[in-house]
Amino acid sequence: MGLLQEAIFGLVTGSYIAIAAIGFTLIYGIVNMINFAYGEYLTLGAFIGLVAATALPVPLPVAVLVAMIGGGIVSIVLARGFFTPINDTGPVPMLLTSIGLGIALRNAIRLVGGRSARYFDTETATFRFDAVPSLSIGPIDLLGGFFITSEHLIVIGAAAAVFVAIHGLLTRTDVGIAMRAMGDDESLARVRGIDTQLIRDSVWILAGVLAGLAGVLMAIQTNVSADTGFSHILQILSAAILGGAGSPYGAILGAYVIGLVLAVSTAFLPSSMTGLSSAVAFVILIGVLLVKPSGIAGTEVREA
Amino acid sequence: MSALDKLPAGHGDRALLAGVVCLLVGALFAFTPMRAQLPSFLYVFVEVGILFVVYGLLVLGLDLQYGHAGLVNFGHVVFFAVGGYATAMLSAQDSFSGIALGYPWPIGLAVGVLAAAVLGLGLSATSIRLRGDFLAIVTLATAEIFHSVFVNFQGIFGGNVGILGVPRPIAALVADGDTRLVATLFVLGGVTLVTLAAVTRLTEAPYGRVLRAIRADELVTRSLGKSTITYKTQAFVYGAALAGLAGGLFALYNGAVAPGFFTIQVTVTIWIGMLLGGAANHRAVLAGLAIIMGLRLVSRFALDVTPVSGDVFASIRLIVVGMILVAVIRYRPAGIWGNAQELGVDR
Repeated sequence: MGLLQEAIFGLVTGSYIAIAAIGFTLIYGIVNMINFAYGEYLTLGAFIGLVAATALPVPLPVAVLVAMIGGGIVSIVLARGFFTPINDTGPVPMLLTSIGLGIALRNAIRLVGGRSARYFDTETATFRFDAVPSLSIGPIDLLGGFFITSEHLIVIGAAAAVFVAIHGLLTRTDVGIAMRAMGDDESLARVRGIDTQLIRDSVWILAGVLAGLAGVLMAIQTNVSADTGFSHILQILSAAILGGAGSPYGAILGAYVIGLVLAVSTAFLPSSMTGLSSAVAFVILIGVLLVKPSGIAGTEVREA
Repeated sequence: MSALDKLPAGHGDRALLAGVVCLLVGALFAFTPMRAQLPSFLYVFVEVGILFVVYGLLVLGLDLQYGHAGLVNFGHVVFFAVGGYATAMLSAQDSFSGIALGYPWPIGLAVGVLAAAVLGLGLSATSIRLRGDFLAIVTLATAEIFHSVFVNFQGIFGGNVGILGVPRPIAALVADGDTRLVATLFVLGGVTLVTLAAVTRLTEAPYGRVLRAIRADELVTRSLGKSTITYKTQAFVYGAALAGLAGGLFALYNGAVAPGFFTIQVTVTIWIGMLLGGAANHRAVLAGLAIIMGLRLVSRFALDVTPVSGDVFASIRLIVVGMILVAVIRYRPAGIWGNAQELGVDR
């Protein structure tokens, strides 16, 4: 396969990671916590979508909507139950709480949903472009024929729609502007009469909605199992930190960098070592934290 | 004056005495024809007990890092793994996968400790200045990187099979299975108790006071003329070296290393044990770890009397463990035996 094909895969991976990373980074910026249980929100979203699509059954776009609403409800309920009561204890206790909650949720999902992977039934159209000439440099083919499926297009299109919607929300609506104000300086925002708890709740709901969407998209691309979200949480986190924790625009950029690096490193690594591609993402993450800990667009995270 | 009054008074000295006694008893089993008979229901206790004393070394190191210096190391398993793999690679003989160099095991153990300490030094040199939650992410990512390296470089680390044929010094001395388990428990338990004595000595000294001052307020400590970065680096490296020792001992007890022994689950177990017992109190973190690992025993016995499958039970146990972590942080942030005032978490 040519590098062009890998780049398309990378773009798709980057798209669903980007949607999740926006939710993750909004929680980081406004609630000031690294939510390690966020992967489980994705899994829950995917399962809700799956149940809606198979048990009810409703058409896929409706199932996606159900998953988004369900994700939002799950997120606000969990936040009210676990995170809001300890809001003022600082980042480390909240991180630890989210790790404990993540373990519990993951195993509860496994208990209910079983260990086997499930799949979304989707009809896929594949568009092939075989006429593209090869452009080889050494063993690596830079162009080459490629294909793109309707699923790929749906994922990329959904991501683009989310970016526009988030941009509109953050710049055009009162809630979004209040969110940005709170991300900047919570005390100042309160002085200006912003109901910080209300904004925090809306961020939790928004992050849950995004997790529901990303979970279903991820599930369409791969499958649904109890580990669906958890296996992506480190990539989501890498994308968010790479872009500068707290910045949604940075998270989008970071997600596509991670997605492309994952896909392209698969092309360059020997076939017995493709498992290393996730390690490559973490190497980038550590590199960013060492060289420019504030990420592409963000604030200082070093203390001394 | 009875013999009891002659016992040393401090926790550290008592632990040292108990540790030396344990080592001597272990040596008695290993070098003399003395034999132990285990009733069959005790097997599982001894096995979990051995794992507990190995993890005990991990939790003591982590307590030095987090409990005393406030360093949020969420990749502690990586030092455990590196110590185990270094020991295994140097001392294993004719393993069919991975590298087996066949040196005597004491050299392997020493290199294991050294390798973990060097990794700790490298990691702290680059990331010790990061804020707490970001240090957690970097250490976690490091652990994941090493895990996938161990799995993927089959020619060096043996892939998922790992490295077999690691010498088992105690098994070489004692042929009888029951005696071997008991001797292992006493020897490794002795090592852990001696370590407990050493870290208690270290943290009761003025040195430990500086570490706790850093956790309480780094800026104030720096303004008193203490080089906080140096202290934090030292605490981090000590913890890493202890984990390396644990890894080496584990490899020499187990006779093999594989990625499956060194998962994120190990980190989570010792973290929950530490927080449940009460960080910054060495005996409390060991007690907390004992509670968490005791849950394994409970679930193993409960498994025999209930009709559900092992998978279901494992899931239920992990749900309970996760909820314990959540509950401890929310309702008892200092842990069961921790000092809330000293940890700065009383509200």
